[in-house]
Amino acid sequence: MSKPRVAIFDFACCEGCQLQIVNLEEEILDLINLVDVVEWREAMSEQSHDYDIAIIEGSITRPEDEKRVLLIRSRAKILIALGACAATGGVNKLKNNFDMKEVRQCVYGKDADLPHLDTYPTKAVDEIVEVDYKIHGCPIENSEFARVIRALLLGKRPMVPDYPVCVECKAKENVCRWEYGETCLGPIIRAGCGARCPTAGFRCFGCRGYVDNPNVEAAREVMAKYNLTEEDLKTRMVLFGSKQGPTL
Amino acid sequence: MSVLKFTREQFENFVSAMVKSGQSVMAPQAKNGRFAFGPLQSAADLRLDYDVTILPPKKYVLPQTQTLLEFEVGGAFRSVDSSQPMILLGVHPYDVAAISQMDELFSQDQYDKHYMDRRCKMTIVALDVVTPSENVFASSMGTATVRKGYDLLLTVLKDGSVLAEAATEKGQQLLKLAGSSTPASEADLSARKAIWESNEKNLDKHVLKCKPSYLPKLLDHSYEHAVWEEMARLCYSCGSCNQVCPTCYCFDVQDFVNWDLKTGRRQRCWDGCLLENFATVAGNHNFRKDRAARYRHRLYRKGKYVPGKIGGQIACVGCGRCITACTAKIANPVEVYNRLMEDTELG
Repeated sequence: MSKPRVAIFDFACCEGCQLQIVNLEEEILDLINLVDVVEWREAMSEQSHDYDIAIIEGSITRPEDEKRVLLIRSRAKILIALGACAATGGVNKLKNNFDMKEVRQCVYGKDADLPHLDTYPTKAVDEIVEVDYKIHGCPIENSEFARVIRALLLGKRPMVPDYPVCVECKAKENVCRWEYGETCLGPIIRAGCGARCPTAGFRCFGCRGYVDNPNVEAAREVMAKYNLTEEDLKTRMVLFGSKQGPTL
Repeated sequence: MSVLKFTREQFENFVSAMVKSGQSVMAPQAKNGRFAFGPLQSAADLRLDYDVTILPPKKYVLPQTQTLLEFEVGGAFRSVDSSQPMILLGVHPYDVAAISQMDELFSQDQYDKHYMDRRCKMTIVALDVVTPSENVFASSMGTATVRKGYDLLLTVLKDGSVLAEAATEKGQQLLKLAGSSTPASEADLSARKAIWESNEKNLDKHVLKCKPSYLPKLLDHSYEHAVWEEMARLCYSCGSCNQVCPTCYCFDVQDFVNWDLKTGRRQRCWDGCLLENFATVAGNHNFRKDRAARYRHRLYRKGKYVPGKIGGQIACVGCGRCITACTAKIANPVEVYNRLMEDTELG
């Protein structure tokens, strides 16, 4: 049986999630034993239109990008959104809080109206085409990436956590950031990171996006129990959670 | 069995001997302003005055993740034994009670070898509570002191000396590591009795308005009570109450395959009935979809279902960890049970 052909593409992103794949280091060899990587701009020169699995990093922020995504989808049997930008829109959705004209002006000054600098409100990949699997995080956990790929190669459905960061944070026996008076987003954010930030002494910033069914109503009300306001909560959610799911 | 008395210095020598014994010693130590059980490197790190640990010592009998077996895809498998001799030092009575309950649960029906192997190699050194934690209610649950479930019981007296009484052969063996000590006097034993009586009254930051043995009957009449919806409205379904609970033992089992796609390992990891997908089964059916149903389930589990499996023992030992861990402040079992008491007329 021939190896599955894999292509990796990027849109609006920092390419850090692809770098996380490179950071698999010697495990990269295990990976390319199992698949043929036919296109990956960050790591090789070759290109191909013939692939089974497409992996997309980055959000869609320009009309012409939309066409490219549709093309990729039409060629791929399986499409994976890699990292926060692709999976939820991530940091790029910050700009959706502003007027697009204002955004262009702020970034490009007098060149704002040049046609190639056209931009529209950020979309996650699944706002344009059907996405089969999402690998969350900013950046992704490469161990999770490896696990998802291995599951797919076996024809199994990969397990992507749909429980909050608190589960992994408690398992690590961290002192809850709320006990330090911090507005940690752990209770509504998807786990899978091993509660990296709380374990390192920071609150959860929410990079993996919301769990499928976050209790945002509760979050609003719980704020009052800590003498905080809804506004305090919103300022914490804006970085990775702007204009998506419960904060639309 | 006889009770020995150690001065603080003699006791530290005893603990140092445990550390050097070659067995791992897990004991309560300071962690970022709170306490946690961890490997003890030096007797000086042991905190006999700890109030409560973030996680209960269940993590040593039922680790957060545990490899059960290694397999070849579609072929042979080999059970993995991760058990090793271990001294669990400084376990509060409520946690001893919880481990005793888990021992019954994991040895009945399908004998759980992975749990029991770890448990059988463990020496449990209980410790009477010195500092009550902010949310403890062990006095209400009858778990402020214990008379069984441990190998050795320690009690710290006011002057800092420590009384030790072995309850089993393992406890006797452990005492052999101790250097000098003296037999406890009548006055020492009275002082210990006074500490027990005090703890039985004073570990009471919350007070259950009924005897724990009454809870199964109370819950017989409370399934449709409004409190479940009211409390669950604020529930994040984060499972923190489950994770920190010394009697929550549910786990999920998953297979992880290696890069060769031919071999792998099967692991179990802690699960929690408050989590959204706890009850999701094959075909993506979730038979406990509502937050309120999951919220109710935990308190039924503690007050009725588990007691039905272990001779009526209530599966809440009053450690109060869930109360502290719940960000939304809705996890207090006493608050809910008392509310049911007020509203439920029993025939």
